[in-house]
Amino acid sequence: MPTEQTSILILDDEPIVSKRLKPSLEKKGYEVETFTTSADALARINERQFNIVVTDLKMEGMDGMQFLSEVKKKYPATEVIVITGFATMATAKESFNKGVFDFLAKPFKLGEIAEVISKAETKIKNSPK
Amino acid sequence: MRNLLHQIRQILYRNKKESVPFKILFADFKKSLELNNQILDLIAEANDKLSGDYIFDKQYIQTTCQTLTGLVRELIVTINHLTQQKYSGLYKSFHLIEEEIDAILQGQVLYPVLEYILPYSSITRGLVDAVGGKNARIAEIGHLLDLRVPEGFAITTAAFSAFWRQNNLEETVSSISEQWQQKTIAVEEAARKIQQAIMKATLPAKLEQAILETASRMTKGQQKAAPCFAVRSSALGEDDIASFAGQYRTCLNIPLAELPQAYKEVVASLYSPEAMEYRLLKDFRHNEIMMAVACQLMIPAKASGVMYTYDPLRPETETMLINSAWGLGEPIVSGEVPTDHFSLDRQSPHEIKEMQVVRKEHSMMLYGCGGIGIESVREEQRTESSLKNCQLQDLAAIGLQLEKYFRKPQDVEFAIDLEDRLIVLQSRQLNLQQERPPRACDLTGIDGKYPILMRGKGIAAMEGIASGPVWILSPESDLKDFPMGAILVARYASPQLARVIHKASGFITDVGSTTGHLATVAREFRVPALFNTEKGSNLLTHGQEITLDTECLTVYAGVVQELQHYSFHEEPVEEMYEYRLLRRVLKKIEPLNLFDPNEESFSPQACRTYHDLTRFVHEKAVETIIDLNFYHAHHRDTQAGQLLWDYPLDLILIDVGGGIKGEHEKGIQPEQIRSAPMQMLLHGMSYPGIWDMSPMKVDFGSFMSSLTRTAPTRNTSPEDVGRNLAVVSAEYTNINFRLGYHYTVIDAYISDNILDNHIYFRFSGGVTDTTRRSRRTRLLNVILSHYDFLCELHGDIVIARLKRMDKESMLNRLFLLGLLVGFTRQLDVKMVSEAKIDDYFEEIKTIMEDNNAN
Repeated sequence: MPTEQTSILILDDEPIVSKRLKPSLEKKGYEVETFTTSADALARINERQFNIVVTDLKMEGMDGMQFLSEVKKKYPATEVIVITGFATMATAKESFNKGVFDFLAKPFKLGEIAEVISKAETKIKNSPK
Repeated sequence: MRNLLHQIRQILYRNKKESVPFKILFADFKKSLELNNQILDLIAEANDKLSGDYIFDKQYIQTTCQTLTGLVRELIVTINHLTQQKYSGLYKSFHLIEEEIDAILQGQVLYPVLEYILPYSSITRGLVDAVGGKNARIAEIGHLLDLRVPEGFAITTAAFSAFWRQNNLEETVSSISEQWQQKTIAVEEAARKIQQAIMKATLPAKLEQAILETASRMTKGQQKAAPCFAVRSSALGEDDIASFAGQYRTCLNIPLAELPQAYKEVVASLYSPEAMEYRLLKDFRHNEIMMAVACQLMIPAKASGVMYTYDPLRPETETMLINSAWGLGEPIVSGEVPTDHFSLDRQSPHEIKEMQVVRKEHSMMLYGCGGIGIESVREEQRTESSLKNCQLQDLAAIGLQLEKYFRKPQDVEFAIDLEDRLIVLQSRQLNLQQERPPRACDLTGIDGKYPILMRGKGIAAMEGIASGPVWILSPESDLKDFPMGAILVARYASPQLARVIHKASGFITDVGSTTGHLATVAREFRVPALFNTEKGSNLLTHGQEITLDTECLTVYAGVVQELQHYSFHEEPVEEMYEYRLLRRVLKKIEPLNLFDPNEESFSPQACRTYHDLTRFVHEKAVETIIDLNFYHAHHRDTQAGQLLWDYPLDLILIDVGGGIKGEHEKGIQPEQIRSAPMQMLLHGMSYPGIWDMSPMKVDFGSFMSSLTRTAPTRNTSPEDVGRNLAVVSAEYTNINFRLGYHYTVIDAYISDNILDNHIYFRFSGGVTDTTRRSRRTRLLNVILSHYDFLCELHGDIVIARLKRMDKESMLNRLFLLGLLVGFTRQLDVKMVSEAKIDDYFEEIKTIMEDNNAN
């Protein structure tokens, strides 16, 4: 990575999620980019790598599962955190099979996601380059 | 005793059709209690989401509403099963509420009141959808901040809606708008046509009458012979969007008889070409276009002006700007006349940093009755400052007060009346226009710059940033002394702290839950609150300046300007669409309108929210179970018997599982009781000296005491037996006492699972004068609040609730209730003076301490 700042991409079709997460994470020193459509997010992923990707699973017109598969295929080192309003055991299982770092059910607290992100960050920093 | 029970059974069996076994009915009862708790919890949880600590989306709001609707429906089915369809009227109220919630979820703004007119004295923040932002804010400034504002009333969105309906304006407006959107006609033509239609329309007679009546009541007692009004727009969303400001019409100095016409003019300005184009751009939906109107008594202003609590272009200079001139404010706001300019230090004593007094040739003045005009200013006044130094000081203090209260820099319009008094005409958010607004990532450096007093402790009951001096609540301190702008630090998030909500910048408590009353109020008033810090009150010192950032669970020493400025730029969480939507649906869910079951209005038809329905069902479920046990036989698998006790308390116990041990044919000895809540209650009631056995001194004393020990059962009908009944199990107690004229309900479930624990206490009645009864009510309120109960007072009814405390604390509170039941039995008779409130409070506290020590 060019900088030492941990970079995070957030994808959720409900704009409020990015609107809330972005300032809160920036305040903690992260570099954050947000998207509401998977097409835009995919285009950005093709341009650069992010350390952490936070994505919704069920979005209109697109499957978050597909997006996270793309991310993991392209950058295996990127940690993916799934956030979803329809948490079922099956989707959780499938996500973990695809190498997802963690799974959060909506609604969640700002503190909860911050904790998960910080764990993911620790994992990235400790993993061999 | 056997004889007595036999007799009761005889009576019970006599008038009874072979009915459903008690166990099944009790299962219904239990189910209704469980649903009741589930519903109240879900409502509390949803309310919790407004704290800003959660990220939720529209999906969550929809799912929550669906779940609640399902639970409430089940609750209504259950009570009807329990009562053989006695309350089928509940279905109708339920469906109405359900439909309203659906409509809100579809994006409709429902006007929350039916009244056409609301005087400022009755407007609260919650009514913003009814009265619009401008009305709501000015009313709030008047009664919560105790600042002088114009007297006035709001013409509500309900009035607007009625006006629209009566004249079919919906149809007219859509057809003309359509032509415009299809580009058949230009926007100017469309606007003109719509405005003409509005001006031609007639006001509903009831509305016109209400406007004239309210206005004429308001003009009574005015010194001026025929006071006139200012009629201003207060459209929904008008204040949130800066570019709307000034687009709508304001009519000044309108005589009473012309108010209806002025109302139409203001409403018609909704359809100015600019407003129409703006709404198209912003994708406003049809049903969001609504206007409430403000009617305010005209202030014959000597001088007027505008104050910015920050310099919007250079906030870092920490100055406030004031512009003023002689006469009315309109030409000042619109920049038509030259104004005096002042720049003041934001810090008290607000030193004047800059002062430019210009030559003021003209001013706008009121003409006697109706009309306004530009007049020449007297020569000697032309070069005189339109504000005195002391007025500048007062203004600055008011500006900071408004800024603290609304939590954003403010743009304040004011007037100086003929008696030199300062009057706030309007206060809205001031947008700072820095070249580079502070960014979140710039804040990472502040940790090194300011000492951190506390971090990572507690939960945010309300998100936000607050700076101010610490004010620690101690047993010696009085909330009355709480200073404006301080941060209240207390051991418990007790409901009574809500009293200083309009003064406090923030709250920090050692103990407290985000579902408590104080949390709800903090959210309503957007006051940052951090609860459960465990040690906040020890770590912080009285008077120390701190900055609280609840999102990061951090308390810094000193005033962190960076955070403060950053927070001014953040879009307030509570103004995001999802928050507005959640708040709107909660209005159909959370408020409680039904209080007194003895009132006629306590009926299925009167239920207006899911909470009302839930409350109604709870009351009726308890009532039904009591009635069943008096008028019908219970099944043999429940055990029942009378409590054998030294005190005159005719109590029938029904055990539904593990509440009573051993034989009870001859009655139940206190030692046989295994129900933990029941044991504690009796323990409290039998505390030495608590149960006052002395005869009453009032004339009807004998009458009272005969009622206390309920009449002999022999030869009496069940109605006369009294209503002292307890349904118990090992962990549960539901009691209904009638002692003298007092009626007490206690419902308690206490187990090792904190989440299930609850106590509900309700106390009413009494025979003495209202003064003594009100003293008794206040005494109960003081005591119960002190011991963490959330109290509601309605007349002489006290309702107290406590939830989610550990077993030991809950049992301790039941001991307290036992004391209170014994103690308050005849208390209203003894409440001869105000001082008694404190005396008895002290007495109870001493007993509680002794009991805890043992």
